[in-house]
Amino acid sequence: MRELINEEVSVVSYFSARKRLSLPHIVSWRNREYAVGKIGFHHTIRDGDILHHIYELVDGEEHLWMRLNLDTSNLHWKLEAISDGESD
Amino acid sequence: MANPISAQSGQSLAMPINRAEPHIMHIDLNSCFSTIEQQANPLIRNKPVAVAAYKHDRGVVLAASYEAKAMGIKLGTFVRDARQICPGIVVLMPDAAKYREAHKRFREVLLQYTSDVVPKSIDEFVINFEGSDALRQGRGLEVVGYEIKEQIKEHLGEYVTVNVGVGPNRFLAKLAAGLHKPDGLDVITHENLRDVLATVGLRDLPGINHRFEARLRAAGIGSPLDFFDADGKFLKNFVFYSKLGFYWQKRLHGWEVDNREFARKTIGHQYALQNKTSDRDELARLVMKLSEKVGRRLRHAGLQAGGLHLSIRFVKPGEAEHTEQYHPDLSWHEKGGFSGHRRYLYWQEGHKTPHPLYATQDIYVAAQRLLNKAVFADRVSQLSVTLYDLQPTNPEQLGLFEEQTLRQKRLATAADAANDRYGDFTVVPAIMANMHKVILDRVAFGGIRDL
Repeated sequence: MRELINEEVSVVSYFSARKRLSLPHIVSWRNREYAVGKIGFHHTIRDGDILHHIYELVDGEEHLWMRLNLDTSNLHWKLEAISDGESD
Repeated sequence: MANPISAQSGQSLAMPINRAEPHIMHIDLNSCFSTIEQQANPLIRNKPVAVAAYKHDRGVVLAASYEAKAMGIKLGTFVRDARQICPGIVVLMPDAAKYREAHKRFREVLLQYTSDVVPKSIDEFVINFEGSDALRQGRGLEVVGYEIKEQIKEHLGEYVTVNVGVGPNRFLAKLAAGLHKPDGLDVITHENLRDVLATVGLRDLPGINHRFEARLRAAGIGSPLDFFDADGKFLKNFVFYSKLGFYWQKRLHGWEVDNREFARKTIGHQYALQNKTSDRDELARLVMKLSEKVGRRLRHAGLQAGGLHLSIRFVKPGEAEHTEQYHPDLSWHEKGGFSGHRRYLYWQEGHKTPHPLYATQDIYVAAQRLLNKAVFADRVSQLSVTLYDLQPTNPEQLGLFEEQTLRQKRLATAADAANDRYGDFTVVPAIMANMHKVILDRVAFGGIRDL
């Protein structure tokens, strides 16, 4: 089931100079840390002048899907939605 | 014995097969929207997934995953029916920005091979390899096709598969791409053309729908091989009643007739109301928002319009909307009147305007005029605004008497600039206040011009 969250979350991200990639690594949400597993899709959207990076990923145990939004105007991360992969 | 279909025309089968090396590749992404969702969320892979316009019962499935298709869920299935067929189906709303990004990456992969890449829709491309490095280096397109499949997995994700077809023309390349879905790769050459045609049905041929199939069968053409063997003049005189008959003969023999680009004729936007209503004030606000949507696309394309068409679809009186029942008494249609389609009743009318439409305000006024004229048969379930008679715009060439128009154009350009900077619908007419996100961002299957 997909659930809308829209809460700011703490994220540890890293940049790989070799791969030229910047990716979220650990997500801290509601007093729990989730190691980022597979990143399914990354794309960007624009809201006017503001560029947002959207990461859709699963935790390392592949139990939870998350949609993260990085607002590049203030570098704040938001957890937009989660899903357990089951139907509503 | 002479083929009766060619004998009727009194001519021999003069059309030779194109024996050139196949150089056209057709690529399409399998179950595009649902595959991209499955790529984005590994937890829904290998599960029945449907991307639907809305998640409620009356939402319509826009794309079904292969797992859902295997259960009979397809484009146009209502969400309620999909859930009945498969209670565990994952239903998602479309994410237009994500599909646009996938389209962009798909195109970037193909542009590594040649610049002659033409998008046919959001999920399919035609690549002409004539004169490309790949062919010059003597690499067969089958090898290139497998390489592209790998490249697409690298750039879009490991779950994304494509069908690749190679042929001497666009038609046969597309036919080849459909032979072994999903994840197929087939090549049609002059050597295997007849063998391939012997394995498919008439409806498997791209462009042959049930209507054309019926015409072909009525003329004694019961299979693609019969179609292939038919004389062009026979096809013209007894099947298609136009030069299309000759075009079909050429297509089937591997000659190119589809390498034409058509100029854009209309810009339209439609909105299916989640809450059906006949409240004219509410509908006026929706028409305003549709006017803004089409207006922005019109101006972005550097065009102006000479006319506007408004279409209003109603909930059928006394009936659930999902029924397939046909009402013969609703089948009449004239300008500004009702028309009955298989499922719904419509009111529609077009209007040529004395001055070109460019600014949202002008578009809205023209649309509102039509809305005022409309007779409501019931609650409205869908609205669409379409601009036609499109021409390139050049405000500087307007005469002095059109100063008012020029001012409105400048205002529209300034509003677009503000919306580009601060986000869509930042600057809007007062009637659109509090309507943010009422009309959602959508992406059309065939609409690639605004991507």
